[in-house]
Amino acid sequence: MRRFGIRRIRFGTFIAGAAAALLVLSACSAPAPAQQSFASWDQVVVDAKGQTVRLWMYGGDEQGNAYVDKDLIPAAATLGVTLQRVPVADTRDALNRVLTEIQAGTRDGTVDLVWVNGDNFGTGKQAGAWSCGWTSQLPNMLLTNSSDPLLGNDFGTPVQGCEAPWSKAQFTIAYNSATVTDPPHTLAGLLDWAQQHPGRFTYPAPPDFTGSVFIREGLDSVSGGDKNVPLRFDQKAFDRLTPALYSRLKELAPSLWRQGKTYPKTSAELNTLYAGGQVDFTMTYGPAELTKLVADGTYPAATKVLTLNEGTVGNASFLAIPSTSGHKAAAMTVANLALSPEQQAAKADPRVWGQYTVLDTARLDPAQRALFEQLPQSAVVPSYDVLSRNANPELSAAWVPALDDAWRRLVLAGR
Amino acid sequence: MALTLPPDSRTPLSWPVRPGNGLRASHGIARTLRVLLALALALWLVLPLVPLALWAFADRWSFPAVLPQAWGWGGVRAALAQGAVPAFGRSLLLGLLVSAVATPLGVLAARALAYRRVPLAPAVNVLLFAPLALPAFVAALGLNVLLLRVQVPPFAGVVLLLTVYALPYTSYTMRVAYGAHDLAVEEEARLLGASAWQVMWRVQLPLLAPALARAAFLAFLVGWSDYVITVLVGGGTIVTVPLLVAAAAAGTGNDATVALLSAAALLPPLVLLLVLGLFGRRPRSHQTNGDVK
Repeated sequence: MRRFGIRRIRFGTFIAGAAAALLVLSACSAPAPAQQSFASWDQVVVDAKGQTVRLWMYGGDEQGNAYVDKDLIPAAATLGVTLQRVPVADTRDALNRVLTEIQAGTRDGTVDLVWVNGDNFGTGKQAGAWSCGWTSQLPNMLLTNSSDPLLGNDFGTPVQGCEAPWSKAQFTIAYNSATVTDPPHTLAGLLDWAQQHPGRFTYPAPPDFTGSVFIREGLDSVSGGDKNVPLRFDQKAFDRLTPALYSRLKELAPSLWRQGKTYPKTSAELNTLYAGGQVDFTMTYGPAELTKLVADGTYPAATKVLTLNEGTVGNASFLAIPSTSGHKAAAMTVANLALSPEQQAAKADPRVWGQYTVLDTARLDPAQRALFEQLPQSAVVPSYDVLSRNANPELSAAWVPALDDAWRRLVLAGR
Repeated sequence: MALTLPPDSRTPLSWPVRPGNGLRASHGIARTLRVLLALALALWLVLPLVPLALWAFADRWSFPAVLPQAWGWGGVRAALAQGAVPAFGRSLLLGLLVSAVATPLGVLAARALAYRRVPLAPAVNVLLFAPLALPAFVAALGLNVLLLRVQVPPFAGVVLLLTVYALPYTSYTMRVAYGAHDLAVEEEARLLGASAWQVMWRVQLPLLAPALARAAFLAFLVGWSDYVITVLVGGGTIVTVPLLVAAAAAGTGNDATVALLSAAALLPPLVLLLVLGLFGRRPRSHQTNGDVK
């Protein structure tokens, strides 16, 4: 049953892209993003009472599920909002549901809130899937830094009030310090290390999300730093910069796990290889999970985070309200609640979920700041300040398929 | 008519005695090979379930250990925290409903195809099989727009679409059964004065019971194991076991939860299969009676 489900999902992802493209092509018939208008925040709070909000979120993170079930849902209940969590294997499923609702002209859809970022957000925005211009009404938005580039652009797509920030994440490479005694400090150094230790390193095959990020990190590295790679995709820059990347990766391939004849299909597969000690490095866009995975013994106890001198890419994830939701007031109330210092601090606790806050601590009052200062430090993952030092911005979404396709042609099939 | 009449009306109708006899039984090497093959097949079926059973109660099991290093209830606790109990209830309800709708429809279609002159019968056959060729994702994405426009409630929509996906199984199973079913038995019952209703309940139903059970079981499986239609058409209103399994399997470190949910998801079909095995047969005792006479 499990395999069957996953095969369908993969196929689904492919079709979803086609469906979204069709929707975009027929943009004249697609409804314009619904504009939200409530006279005041008080009006929102009053309207929200008694409404039910279905929050669709990727369900593969048990800590995330537990945080929503045990913290966010009870807190929403005190505001008179019934919050329900819908676990999905892929956020794309939520977007697909919304796209069918848009086509049918639904005004009371079953998706009220989606945990989203990147590609799914961009595709949905093009298709008019999100309500826009509502986040400036959330009182807790004042506690975020409005000029923070991570919150203003989601993988190159301007946010424009179409989603409210929820968490920050930083691409992180972890290693087993029991076997890696000479950890590198740059990505170039990591690739050299992999060549000197055949079979002990690999990365997930793009278009896996994490594998794809790794390729982009590699592009920054061979280009002499992220400042040399334009954020906006342009073919000339692609032709100029990528030959160095792919020749380096091809040169590296024979030294990878199983001589680079095959790659882990997903980041979960790479994590399993790492958990089993078959490779010495793993990578994730959700460093929060590392603390729990080390504590419960999935990962080696000597797991440490590899901090790179040139920094790694960071992003934020958001809560978006579909344009078809019939419970916008309640969905806005939940998005505002999720942004509150209390909820953000609870979510940042490594024992709960360990997701980094999107709030700007300088804008908090002393009592609120204390909530964050009281949080215990994770034994494995450094604080966000350390992890996000020299953080690089994400390239725009148009870079991603171009880099992934070329990787498949030149590196995977080129041997 | 090749059918032998029962000696008197009190003797229940009996199926022709099983043709197996001493001449058919295998001996020597052939028998040994047959037993070995059966054992190998059983092993092939059971072997993949062993790691599943081990993982379900393994709190820690890392490569290259052959057996889990720590046993415990972590998987059970996590599965319960994900809402496994209500999800099982919903899955069970969905499977039973799909089965309850798709089985009678399959019977009607099969009976019509077997005994009546259906116009364009080959085309009807193809149509009944078409859902097998159509990926569920395409159907869900396309038909959900229609279902939303005509305001079909999500749950009804899921049952409706899954019924369509169960129809090929039920209609095919019943078509085969009707192919082997001797209408003469029904005609004879009518000749002996049974009403149409009595013929259906006392003659047709008992004779077709095993096939009906098989069809109902297959239809149940369609409802029990679906992910994509439940998500897209159900719109998150019905969180079933496959949703929990797929979501958990998409993450890292959830092996115990996934194993426990998957193993538990095998139980209801297995129980149904056993029940079918016990009650879904033609009454054996009558046959033996016939043998003795």
